[in-house]
Amino acid sequence: MSNRSQLISTGKPFQFDRERDAEFERLSTRYPTRESLILPALWLIQEQEGWICQEALAYAADRIGTFASKLYEAVTFYTMFHLHPMGRNHICVCRTLSCWLLGKQEIVDFLKNEIGITPGQISEDGRFSLEEVECLGHCGTAPVVQVNGEFHENMDAGKLKELLATLP
Amino acid sequence: MADKIKLFVNGVEVEVEAGKNLIDAIGAVGIEIPHFCYHPALGSDGNCRMCLVGIEDGRPPLVPACKTPAQAGMKVLLDAAHIKKIQHDVMELELINHPIDCPICDQAGECKLQDFYMSYDKQPSRMTVAQVKKGKKLDYGCGIVHDQERCVLCARCVRFCRQITKTGELGIVNRSDAAQVEFFPGRPINNRYAQNIVDLCPVGAMTSADFRFKQRVWFLKRAKGICHGCAKGCNITIEHNREKYQEDRIYRFLPRLNPQVNGYFICDKGRYSYHKENEGRLTVARQGSQVRNQADALAACNQEISRSPKIAMILSPNCSLEEMVAVKSLAEKLGATLSGFSDGYISAGDGDGYLIQDDKSANRAGLGILGINSNRAVFEKDLGEAQLLVNFNNDLTRSYTEPELRALLKDTKMILAASHDDGLAAMAAIAIPIAAASEYSGSLVNCDNILQSFTKAVSKNHDPVDIGTLAAQLGSPLQTRAEQFSELRKYLSVLKNFEADTLPAEGLKLTDNEATHVTA
Repeated sequence: MSNRSQLISTGKPFQFDRERDAEFERLSTRYPTRESLILPALWLIQEQEGWICQEALAYAADRIGTFASKLYEAVTFYTMFHLHPMGRNHICVCRTLSCWLLGKQEIVDFLKNEIGITPGQISEDGRFSLEEVECLGHCGTAPVVQVNGEFHENMDAGKLKELLATLP
Repeated sequence: MADKIKLFVNGVEVEVEAGKNLIDAIGAVGIEIPHFCYHPALGSDGNCRMCLVGIEDGRPPLVPACKTPAQAGMKVLLDAAHIKKIQHDVMELELINHPIDCPICDQAGECKLQDFYMSYDKQPSRMTVAQVKKGKKLDYGCGIVHDQERCVLCARCVRFCRQITKTGELGIVNRSDAAQVEFFPGRPINNRYAQNIVDLCPVGAMTSADFRFKQRVWFLKRAKGICHGCAKGCNITIEHNREKYQEDRIYRFLPRLNPQVNGYFICDKGRYSYHKENEGRLTVARQGSQVRNQADALAACNQEISRSPKIAMILSPNCSLEEMVAVKSLAEKLGATLSGFSDGYISAGDGDGYLIQDDKSANRAGLGILGINSNRAVFEKDLGEAQLLVNFNNDLTRSYTEPELRALLKDTKMILAASHDDGLAAMAAIAIPIAAASEYSGSLVNCDNILQSFTKAVSKNHDPVDIGTLAAQLGSPLQTRAEQFSELRKYLSVLKNFEADTLPAEGLKLTDNEATHVTA
């Protein structure tokens, strides 16, 4: 596993926008303890900014009323949270067993040739970022690729090329 | 008295306390179940898996002893082959990335990983891949140095900050072999009990900047003591050593368990107060600016006392009950006034409702029990009428500025019995060195009306006397500690069945009547 403990500080204060603020307040009535808001709050930050910075973590800890160290634990444990800015289109390729056996490497190699980045990188124009992730839970339709949160099943290089053409 | 139950350990029947988990229950009768993450003050976490044992009653083959309550008739297996195998395997897992730097690790001698390796493992490494290297010698705040490589992720430090100090600075970030204890960026450890993390760490991952590399722990001698840093009277272990041709020095104070007083922990300020026992000491008697031997200085004191028609005495609220009663008897014999004035020892607002108290003296309650007046105006009036002040280690610089003191002592000579050479010694006509708290025996009453005793831990080369002995040398009718203790029985009925050195280890709670007297 990689070390994800280096948080990025933007030097700017963070706060939820009006929509996320309302959603946070709505969710806060839903759980018996406020610490249950840790994961939803992290999702809201990522939804708003595309990634999660140090100031956002501290802000969410204060809003929830818990230790910042607890959010730090969660955000570094779950790899679906991005700790640095990603490309406009974020591509996740599942690398776990079924996908591996059914050709995830061909997909990764194709993307390397097509957009010139390897997992962990962002394209120079900022259009794409690529990441290999643990099991996405679609073993029956492997290999699977997730683009901007949407699943694309039974993927191969040809289908992926068509998909890339539709992305902004 | 807790209920007892009988159970079997490796087929042998043992009697243990009911209501405890297996680690504590069986540990109390001397049978060790190895563990890293469990600590009685922090509860079970179940993350280290070192305490897995077998129970022969149809449960799963292995259960964590820290989360398993002892039950009557239970058959606990510790020495079965599958238990030994799991202990080997857990040790192997812990040691995959652990640096074998025991010869230079400051925790050598008190590292559970090292101890358990020798007891449960002793196998060569099967790893052929490179170790995962992590940070070394990281400043985590409050004098705590973290070595990530050595950490076994037991999370005791994390739980301490969340459960005990409720400051929550630490967390375990990342996952798998990248997991490590971290503080949130820019928010290092910042609480007044932080050094307990070092005591809790079962390996050498959290070490104290104050203690690192000063001594190997196996060279240290250990004695029981009571912290004199505030009115709580936390129980401590005084660790000291006399290097060849050197003075006996204290190297650290560690907390000592007393559920009635401080539980498992002490505050950092009290812990660091050992520095004051070592440093800035008054080691030779002085008359004016002249150095005198102890006998000559005593003779000079007696001469001053005999020719002063009016004498005022003051003593420190840190004095033991025995010292207080000896000085009180001396004052009564000489017709002197006696004060316990010590407002300067109170730091209003500093207490935290846990261990740290506003009152930075160890035995203010003793003044109340013995009826020693502590009023400022009364002390100043007595002092104004006296030609001589005999000061038994009351640091008046805490209560007065230097010009105020000089004005107060303008027409009054001062004999000072002091453990430390601070600004006050320079104003004394005669200054006599006396023992600091770790260098004599006595008893104290803390802020919760618990009477505790402490014994001499350290012997200095200049062998200073305690105030009780000095008072006897100046003519107190109470010549020995036994006589002082007998006199104390007149004030404290709870002492009637005890001798000076037979007080219970956890202390004696004063009766309601005596407690009322203290608070009055």
